[in-house]
Amino acid sequence: MGTRPDIPPGTLYMLILRSLARLGPMHGYGIAQFIQQISDDVLQVEEGSLYPALQRMLIKGWVTAEWKQSENNRRARYYRLTPEGRKQMVREVEEYGLVAAAIARVIEPAS
Amino acid sequence: MIRELLRRLNFLLHRSRYERELEEEMAQHLAMLEQDRSGPAAARRRFGNVTTLKEESREMWNFRFLEQTAQDLRYALRAMAAAPLFTVTAALSLALGIGANTAIYSFMNAIMLRSLPVYQADRLAIVSWHSAKRSPVVRGINGTGRRYQGKGTTSPNFPYRAWEALRAQTEVFDTLFAYTYVQNFNAIVNNQADAIGGGFVSGNYFAGLGVPAAAGRLIAPEDDAKGAQPAVVLTYSYWQNRFNADPSAIGRSILLNNQPFTIIGVTTPGFFGVDPQSNPSIFLPIHAIPSISQNPAREERNRFFDDHYYWIEMIGRLRPGVTIEQAQAATRTQFHAFAASTAASPKDAEVLPEVSLEPGGAGLDSLRRQYSQPLYVLMTMVALILAIACANLANLLLARAAARRREIAVRLSLGAGRWRIVRQMLTESILLALTGGVLGLAVAAAGIRLITLLIANGRDNFTLRAELDWPVLAFTFALAVVAGIVFGLAPALQATKVDFTPALKEQRTQGTSSHGRVLRLSHVLIAAQIAVSLLLVVGAALFVRTLVNLHSIDVGFNRENLLLVSVNGQQAGYREAALARFYAGLTESFRQIPGVRSVSATAYPLVARYVNGLNVVIPGRTPQPGDPSASIMSVDPAFLSTMQIPVLAGRDLAPGDLAAPQVAVVTPKFASAFFAGQDPIGRQFVLGGGADAPFLQIVGIARPAHYNSLQEQEEQPVIYVPYTQDLSGLNRLFFVLRTAGPPASIVAAVRRTVHDASPSVAINEISTQSERMEQTISQERTFANLGACFAVLALVIACVGLYGAMAYSVARRTGEIGIRMALGAQRPKIIWMVLRQVLALTAAGLTAGLVAARFCSRLVESFLYGLKPNDPLALAGAAAALLLAALAAGYLPAWKASRIDPAVALRNE
Repeated sequence: MGTRPDIPPGTLYMLILRSLARLGPMHGYGIAQFIQQISDDVLQVEEGSLYPALQRMLIKGWVTAEWKQSENNRRARYYRLTPEGRKQMVREVEEYGLVAAAIARVIEPAS
Repeated sequence: MIRELLRRLNFLLHRSRYERELEEEMAQHLAMLEQDRSGPAAARRRFGNVTTLKEESREMWNFRFLEQTAQDLRYALRAMAAAPLFTVTAALSLALGIGANTAIYSFMNAIMLRSLPVYQADRLAIVSWHSAKRSPVVRGINGTGRRYQGKGTTSPNFPYRAWEALRAQTEVFDTLFAYTYVQNFNAIVNNQADAIGGGFVSGNYFAGLGVPAAAGRLIAPEDDAKGAQPAVVLTYSYWQNRFNADPSAIGRSILLNNQPFTIIGVTTPGFFGVDPQSNPSIFLPIHAIPSISQNPAREERNRFFDDHYYWIEMIGRLRPGVTIEQAQAATRTQFHAFAASTAASPKDAEVLPEVSLEPGGAGLDSLRRQYSQPLYVLMTMVALILAIACANLANLLLARAAARRREIAVRLSLGAGRWRIVRQMLTESILLALTGGVLGLAVAAAGIRLITLLIANGRDNFTLRAELDWPVLAFTFALAVVAGIVFGLAPALQATKVDFTPALKEQRTQGTSSHGRVLRLSHVLIAAQIAVSLLLVVGAALFVRTLVNLHSIDVGFNRENLLLVSVNGQQAGYREAALARFYAGLTESFRQIPGVRSVSATAYPLVARYVNGLNVVIPGRTPQPGDPSASIMSVDPAFLSTMQIPVLAGRDLAPGDLAAPQVAVVTPKFASAFFAGQDPIGRQFVLGGGADAPFLQIVGIARPAHYNSLQEQEEQPVIYVPYTQDLSGLNRLFFVLRTAGPPASIVAAVRRTVHDASPSVAINEISTQSERMEQTISQERTFANLGACFAVLALVIACVGLYGAMAYSVARRTGEIGIRMALGAQRPKIIWMVLRQVLALTAAGLTAGLVAARFCSRLVESFLYGLKPNDPLALAGAAAALLLAALAAGYLPAWKASRIDPAVALRNE
């Protein structure tokens, strides 16, 4: 499977939420594909973590799910962002921004 | 949070649909992946184990805990059904332990914790005052004055106008209502006379408490005013019992103390006023007091216009948001101003009573004062019983867990978590405890009845209102769960601390090294049980000996075959001389009843906790600071002879003294206190020291008898005077009938006689002198009876535990004993071998128990009479009883051990 870097722990929700916010309702496969594509194949979402994550988000009420016909005529479960999910996303993105900037400062070589 | 829970629940309800959907979703995902990639195999490899994924996402919904609990419960039920004998023994011993705790707790709840059944009881505040010294503005208290911090006085009683003044304090109180304590009335309903309890209440009383009417209306401000129509409110139970809950009773007239009152309404069911100890049948407006007294004008003057006469009690309902401290501060200032205004001189105003407010949600504290200490003692005793039962079960479970070691080792080695197994075993023990708890409720219901009967001790309509209500049930539930954890945890931890290899290899009955640990724990538990049982048995022995001591007190009169009949002719309209004539006639009629040997009467009986003390003034003698007050017995002349109290010198009272009542018979203590060794016969004295008080002449000396209580240590200076001496103070009399046979046999004739003498006179109470005396020691009696019950319970539980542990130990040692016997050990020797172990355990337990008893018994010192807390007889007796019980419990397993057939035992090896 190569040496693709793992998705940093704790950021999967944010990635999923952001994807849904950008593209609107999507099925699980679509989400995984989108993340992979947009990150130039750097981030690859394992299905083994995708579906548990989606389930957990359903419980939290960040997303709702609905069965629809997909573009190639398959039945697929589409996930849609809820207002609560949107709030959560904003929160997580903010936090991530803070952490990322902080990390950047720490690892910046002293000049 | 809630919505999340709902979503989870929704998932649980439609679990199969959700799982199907997840499966389909994954299948679709796989299909799309296949399409994009090279083929199914690669895709599946990427996807991973579908089943694990499903499991994982199902766990996400987090109902695993519930599911596992359900699993554990099923397993526990199977285990309980598989060992019915164990289950029944365990559940029964727990039922006794938990039931006893629940019963005592229900009394604690009723007496110390429960709120009055009124609207927002937590906003009620009881008003009382205290003063460190005697205050000159308080000239008379009619109610419940008590000692305050050893020397001053505290009392909930106030002058009427103090209530009026405080009622104006509307910033802190919504309402401030007033009432009197419950007293006796003679009620005539349908031409039948009845003695009932009733209280006087202010017009804003029911509104202030927020008590609704079940029928009609309740007393309102316009009913409580001078000249208002005389109105009476019935309690629900009185309405039911006396009027069959007939709505047409409203508007009817009844006679109370010979005055007509109109029934205006009925209180809501369960309402009993503000004193949980009292059980009134009626409520009257406060302004009705003068109309039913002997001298209405004087009564009205005293009650409503004398600012030094303290009698009315009050409770305030705090305004929402006002704290009791704020209310107290405001009330204190207000009352201080009132009290200062009543002081006759600046000097009188130096010591003024000061108001304090206390939370009134639970009602008056008379019951709490009386019963809180005994309840703590009883609660401790039942807690100890439960502790023994828990130790017992822990022991049985240890043995059982030892038998399941192989199974547990297998499960652990297959990957079950230790916590998971501990949890499963705890589920089992908690289920067992809950079963015991449910059975315990039946035990508690019976216990509550028994204890109420014990404390009531013959007083009818006595109630402590203990019942199995929700708080008590919650207590029982919590207790059962805690008990389950307490007795289940140690065995569960012990059982899962398994050294795999030997346990797995182990045969069914062999012992290994870890049994040493189990046995040690089990032995400690047994010794602890014996120690705790000893405490309970010592307690019981102390209480029983106290009761025996009380019963063997020589009270100075013959207490057997005496019937006391309390009659109040004054309430039926007889006054002064007419009343005295009525009583004299009644005495004569009682004498005619067959089986009655002699009859007398007294204002109140001996040894019934009545006290009536007056100062004595002797002409020509300066009063000394240490002079005792004399206890007055107003009696019929035949009293001393009827009670069989001998006259030591001079003469007894004679029938003629009723007409010329200025005479007295005194006790030797009176003579020595006031006449210092001189012969008092013929000397004169004055009672009370009022200006118009008559001189009384001493005509005789009677042998001392106990005056107000069995326990009184010192002889009292007592004066017997004819009851006709103070005609204006004459009201109720207790007739004393000395019978030839059992007093109960003449009760019907007594009732007939009173009814024949006057149908409008009610009998307040009928009891025997010894019942009366028993009532004064009902606490000691309750302690002795319950203590004995508890001790037996503890002994039985401890013995069952000892038996079980020894039987288990013998079973484990079958092989060893077989070898010993094969090598020639005799049966007595085997028996001794087992008994020696019993003795060692008992000795250890007794030693610990005796040490603990030396400390604990001091805590019950105030409940003992005639013995010290470390009474050697009680300690030795209790220890001997336990030793015998332990030997009896240990003998059966020992005997069984001696019957082991060596051949069979060795073949099993």
